[in-house]
Amino acid sequence: MTVDRVEPPLGADERTMLLAWLDYHRATLELKCDGLTDDQLRQRAVAASDLSLLGLVRHLGSAEYLWFRFWLAGETPNNPYDGDIAFEIDDADVAETFAFWRGECAHAREVVATFASLDDVGAGQQRGAGISLRYTLVHMIEEYARHNGHADLLREAIDGTTGD
Amino acid sequence: MHGMTRTERVYAPFEADERTMLTAWLEFHRATLAMKCEGLTDDQLRLRSVTPSLLSLLGLVRHMAEVENNWFRFWLAGDGPVARYDGDEDFSVDGADVDEAFEYWRQECANAREILASFDSLDEVGPGQTVDTGFSVRWVLVHMIEEYARHNGHADLLRESIDGEQGN
Repeated sequence: MTVDRVEPPLGADERTMLLAWLDYHRATLELKCDGLTDDQLRQRAVAASDLSLLGLVRHLGSAEYLWFRFWLAGETPNNPYDGDIAFEIDDADVAETFAFWRGECAHAREVVATFASLDDVGAGQQRGAGISLRYTLVHMIEEYARHNGHADLLREAIDGTTGD
Repeated sequence: MHGMTRTERVYAPFEADERTMLTAWLEFHRATLAMKCEGLTDDQLRLRSVTPSLLSLLGLVRHMAEVENNWFRFWLAGDGPVARYDGDEDFSVDGADVDEAFEYWRQECANAREILASFDSLDEVGPGQTVDTGFSVRWVLVHMIEEYARHNGHADLLRESIDGEQGN
């Protein structure tokens, strides 16, 4: 499949800029996984590390769940891949993993759209003691970017593919 | 000296205005790169520890000095080009001087903080550019966060492959 990745605008309001960079990194993870077999996606390709591309996809699905569904939307926590279980992918179903991740990304976009201001905090939290939408968006950008750094080295070790 | 002090790293606040939030995350990632390099010998910093990649921690430090220079000094301050290394030379670390690289990086971070403070609004662009064609301060700040974070992802695996050290 072809992954559609859009470069963020050079000038834009704060919300547009942050959402564009977040979608850029979601698409980057998709690109890093593109064209590989299930076994390659499960491969722990950097000898010293337990990380795999499939583990990253499941972990980021879990991160979308935690930050948007749980902290911002205030939904009951039953995150299926909370913690290190996300990286235990030897028997993981690839299609199910990508469906979980994409579903959480879609849900996150819906949650963001319900917030009028980036200063707002999640349901059940209070101003002055809560996690703001602004924090969440910047954190998710740096969370994806850091894991995409892992994905860069995993992908290069799997088949030599490099690139932004 | 790069290895002699413990790096101070401050977590970004859960609530803050835009400039405070972005600056806090950028500083968090600058400190993270310093932490990933901490306590290693010069030879370990030069090691290409994740096969087949040509990356090394020292190469990342040299690269990030160039990146700070490019986005803050060149694009936002309109000063330059003043890059120190040609092309991909930042990643050619075999004969590279470790102290020189860290000093260059820290100096460019300090310059970047001063340049950022000279802008009243994150909507602004550097001198000689227009808002239609230029990189806004906002773009530069978000880009710098994701650029550092991505390279710190590289630094995570390089460091783990050098001595097994992990961590955020």
